[in-house]
Amino acid sequence: MAVDLLTLAFQRPHIDWHGIAPELVLLGVGALITLVDIVFLEKARPITAALAGLGLLATAVPLLTLAADGTDRVMFDGAYVVDEFSLVMKAIFLLSAYVVVLLSTNYVAEGDYWENEYYGLLLASVMGMVMMASARDLVSIFVALELLSIPAYLMVAWRKRDLRSNEAGLKYYLMGVFASAVMLYGMSLLYGVSGSTMLDDIGTAVAAAGSSVPVVTMAIVFIVAGFAFKVSAVPFHTWAPDVYEGAPTPVTAFLAVASKAAGFVALLVLVLVAFPSASDVWEPLVWILAAASMTVGNMVALRQTNVVRLMAYSGIAQTGFMIAPLAVAGHGGGSADQALSAVVTYLAIYAAMNLGAFAVIIVLARKTGSAETTSFAGAFHYAPGLTVAMTIFLFSLAGIPPLGGWFAKFEVFRVLATAGEPWGYVLAAVGAVNSVIALYYYAALARRMWADDAPDGDHAPVPMTPSLASALGICGIVTLAFGVAPQLVARFTDVTLAALGG
Amino acid sequence: MTALAALEGMDRLTSGEALVAQNVAFAIMAITMVVAALRMVTTRNVVHAALYLVVVLAGVAGQFLLLGAEFVGVTQVMVYIGAIVVLFLFGIMLTKGSFGEDDGVSSEKRLMAGLVGLLVFGVMAAALVDSFEDAEVAREAPSTTAEVSDSIFSTYIVPFEAVSVLLLAALIGAIVVARKD
Repeated sequence: MAVDLLTLAFQRPHIDWHGIAPELVLLGVGALITLVDIVFLEKARPITAALAGLGLLATAVPLLTLAADGTDRVMFDGAYVVDEFSLVMKAIFLLSAYVVVLLSTNYVAEGDYWENEYYGLLLASVMGMVMMASARDLVSIFVALELLSIPAYLMVAWRKRDLRSNEAGLKYYLMGVFASAVMLYGMSLLYGVSGSTMLDDIGTAVAAAGSSVPVVTMAIVFIVAGFAFKVSAVPFHTWAPDVYEGAPTPVTAFLAVASKAAGFVALLVLVLVAFPSASDVWEPLVWILAAASMTVGNMVALRQTNVVRLMAYSGIAQTGFMIAPLAVAGHGGGSADQALSAVVTYLAIYAAMNLGAFAVIIVLARKTGSAETTSFAGAFHYAPGLTVAMTIFLFSLAGIPPLGGWFAKFEVFRVLATAGEPWGYVLAAVGAVNSVIALYYYAALARRMWADDAPDGDHAPVPMTPSLASALGICGIVTLAFGVAPQLVARFTDVTLAALGG
Repeated sequence: MTALAALEGMDRLTSGEALVAQNVAFAIMAITMVVAALRMVTTRNVVHAALYLVVVLAGVAGQFLLLGAEFVGVTQVMVYIGAIVVLFLFGIMLTKGSFGEDDGVSSEKRLMAGLVGLLVFGVMAAALVDSFEDAEVAREAPSTTAEVSDSIFSTYIVPFEAVSVLLLAALIGAIVVARKD
């Protein structure tokens, strides 16, 4: 035995340093912020936000060189893959996080919250997301999920002196670990069936096992349920409104966009790489999630009087749209590729318009100190530019041309309608009805801002800061550009997964 | 499920297959674990519940050892029994004024919860028996600690490094949230 151990020489893994350069840069920036915090303590506060923002932009540089290089890189026996899909998703994560840093700059400094630590946790969470985009085995996916979730649980509770924030943090944490546990159990069953953690091998094993094996079905249901929590799809959405309302608003924006996108990344990769042959299990499941999320999200959003809660329910409804293409992604012939690019397109556009809407909410709440819809009344009289911006974002979320959201919805409907399945048409019809309902409450909020009068006749201008202005600018330009010239976004988001042989 | 597996163990025992001692040990541990798990959720004393949890977790560690996975078994003891349950006990003692009897748990939803639990148990047991009924653990090639460490530092090096970032982030965040200011 001792001889065996000696002869069992350790194989040094081949590491493609270029391939993992984005993660390494991000790790370096995170370490730098932690170090600056330790050395300079409170004196570092003015620079950490800038450091975090610059670090996120610096991380995008290796992404560009990888994209220019253009070859799919497979590392660690297939556990870590850099392909088109992962590069585009990493870019979405980094840009969303950059906008979140811009939104946080004044919010965190003025609220007298722990600032250096905040950006450290934010970067850790982004690192989990960036990892998730490349992870192609169960261990990496699970660790990435926890790395992006645990800092988020803590950031939700960052307004320590506010009971609602404490409650939100605890609620998010408890629901989150419960969902993780269910998902982990599903993963362990998959490992039991296939004897491997690599998604490729699991795909082979699931295909070999046939579609009617109860354990495989159970594993898929558990895993999809776990990620349905992450993307806040009905019926796993109950945490979202309370958490969104209690969390610091920039963190809410982060959860609504980046964290949701990360959940989708994992869902897409698992469903399309590990379970392509079990589509008769997950297609109906996704169908129900999509239809229920759209309908319940919109119905409840109609009754909301708080803008952040409204955005939470609207986000649930948008999840329904985003997940819908997956309901018809399982019958070969390029249907998986089409669904993949439809979801990625939606995620990119949704990130811009939703972050934009949250930026306006943060700016306006700086003046009104409240996120009730009534306090947004008459914003046009003292902040015409902001009102126009909010109208653009709201109508984009509703899917009105020529704004970005139009193209996102169009892609979803195109995939549903061209699948040639009766259930696809039904889902498209459900989506169409829901688009109309959604327009009602988005337009109602916009009308209140344009037509009503300010609640107490207070027409003082809104205090604006450079970082908030640039966040608004980035989101506005992207939303408009993607709507006017959809081929722009289509060029980026027409992605393929390396494992799909694209 | 565990009872079924235990019966199966007895079955093998009588049919003269090898590994008799292992099957007996498995049955004893499994029965102990089931009893302790039931007591854990039915006892009204939180401290007792935590101690029953120790028994269950020790049983899990023993099962790992039986399967020849000594690294996972020892980790189970160190992490779960050594750290997590001790943390539970500290948590109970530091946060509750009077620990001990706790009957404040609402029982109105007990029936519903029990039904859901039974249903899930039934479905999972049926599915697991269906798939793994005839599966046998390979007698050769138990995964040695050396192999585990090799795979951590080759195939799983990225998640391994990520876990260290995760722990640091969780630590910093927990201090910020927990400290008085």
